Amino acid sequence: MGWRLWSLKRSVWVYHVNAGACNNCDIEVVDLLTPRFDVERFGIRLVGSPRQADALLVTGVGTRQAIKRLQDAYIQTAKPCLVFCIGACACGCGIFEGAYHVSGPVDQAIKSIDPDAIIAYVPGCPPKPEAIVSGVVKALSVV
Amino acid sequence: MELDLQIVASPINGMITSVRAIRPRRWFIDCPAENVAAVCRFLFDQAKLRFVISTGIDAEDCFEVLHHFCHDPTGSFVTVKVSIPDRTSPQLDSITPFIPAAEWIEREIQDLFGIRFKGHPNPKRLILADDWPEGLYPLRKDYRP
Amino acid sequence: MTGIAENVFRLLVFPGLVFTLVIGMFGCWVLRKVSALIQWRVGPPWYQPWVDVLKLAGKELLIPEQANAVVFLAAPVVGLAAAVLVSTVLWNALLGRHAYVGDLIVVLYLSVIPSLALIMGSSASASPHAAIGASREMKLILSYELPMAAAMVVALIKAAASGSPSGQVLDLSSLSAAKVIWSISGFMAFLVSLLCIHAKLGLVPFDIAESETELAGGILIEYSGILMGIWRLVQAVLLVALPLLLIAVFLGGFGTGRWAILAGFGKLVLLWVLLILIKNTNPRVRIDQAMRFFWFVCTPALVIAVILAILGRFYGIGWL
Repeated sequence: MGWRLWSLKRSVWVYHVNAGACNNCDIEVVDLLTPRFDVERFGIRLVGSPRQADALLVTGVGTRQAIKRLQDAYIQTAKPCLVFCIGACACGCGIFEGAYHVSGPVDQAIKSIDPDAIIAYVPGCPPKPEAIVSGVVKALSVV
Repeated sequence: MELDLQIVASPINGMITSVRAIRPRRWFIDCPAENVAAVCRFLFDQAKLRFVISTGIDAEDCFEVLHHFCHDPTGSFVTVKVSIPDRTSPQLDSITPFIPAAEWIEREIQDLFGIRFKGHPNPKRLILADDWPEGLYPLRKDYRP
Repeated sequence: MTGIAENVFRLLVFPGLVFTLVIGMFGCWVLRKVSALIQWRVGPPWYQPWVDVLKLAGKELLIPEQANAVVFLAAPVVGLAAAVLVSTVLWNALLGRHAYVGDLIVVLYLSVIPSLALIMGSSASASPHAAIGASREMKLILSYELPMAAAMVVALIKAAASGSPSGQVLDLSSLSAAKVIWSISGFMAFLVSLLCIHAKLGLVPFDIAESETELAGGILIEYSGILMGIWRLVQAVLLVALPLLLIAVFLGGFGTGRWAILAGFGKLVLLWVLLILIKNTNPRVRIDQAMRFFWFVCTPALVIAVILAILGRFYGIGWL
């Protein structure tokens, strides 16, 4: 397993999933992937298909409509993979706790289909791109 | 140059209850539910106001629907306020046939309050989930999750 | 008669798979690093392409339920095999070895196979995104194969005009000797064929089939794990093989003499620089714009080039 983890930490391909976010965190994620923050030096690259992704960047609270699609995207991602919950809503419902359309925090939805899922949390509303980078790098160093 | 809605809205004086400005450049027009389509049509076609958005309110004894218009040359906002006393099956004329931009906001009010818009060309569910139970309207005051 | 072991060595190690991969992965890194520097950022470390493939080898291999599993699995391998063959033939020709099999027609034929394998693989994916990607790739192939062949015709006319024996015009070494680029028609043909290999490599502005933002990964959407890694290897090998084709046909090959190897690699780096320049200064074009460009701009330019070449041959004017 050693070489797999070693190469996974140096080449993380990300796929962005919006599970019912207000788009604030999505804008920050898209910002992050622009040349200004240069995530390519960590080997991070945006891919268009969950099958090729190593990390899911999940934003949003997990609405009733989106939660099933998020679980589908997680199942379609080739393991081993990481899940990053970006933003206060993805970390634990944020200000929408108990609202009518919220179907549970995102990490519970993913743990319900895969109890061994590796989930990292980047809080903030929205987290600055620097915070997201620091969160990703910290998570990779402890995985 | 200021918008004087009293003068501009004089042709429809028979259909509305009152015209008032609660502060400069903020006008309210109260009208009964059956005249809402004609009043909005007048404001949109004749007075050349721009439709902005609509609002639904659950006042305890009735439902209220507000249609907001804007007069761009003066920066004035005009709101048409309609009150629907029937709480069991509230209905209102849709303004979408002549203001196509209102289609989605009326669908949203329909999903969240249960106010049925008569004459809406596409009254499908918009923002609630596909498996949300029928007849449950989240933004009503008596909604319990 | 060379033995089987020697042939296998030539195909798989030098100058075949391993040798070309080393240079090709270096080329992939150069592409990414120079693009990063142009965008005022740092870019990936030198081992990044290798680590990408290594990571992909360690991931789960997912095959869609409704996909045609045989074609799905075979397509990347076939593509890699064809790309390795192309590069082996070209290296053998350029490095001046005897007893190799292959002339211009063989190379052109083999160089189409990776693109066809891409189409077959994505059609076998049973995904609507992949189907759209495959149809766009097919249209792209239809657009750039004709200018590619016509550019080769210009080179053939030039080689025949410069006096190579008539039975050997298609031979890659005689084409190299003709120094095709030092003539107007040769230069035009070189420019057009540079754009054609740019499209064949799937680089911006012609990466329509694999556009990640439009088609969610498009042509490769269902590929994961080691198969995706093999597609990346195909890209790396083609990044060496196709510029080598241009060097052999237009730029005079590696040449002979003491500085031959250095000159050859210098020409390879020059072509990489041109590819990077085109890649970084252009947005992605739509498929109909690409087709219009290849059919209505490149092909008429090549018709003019062919006419000029024939005139040059007929009247003995070398620089036409």
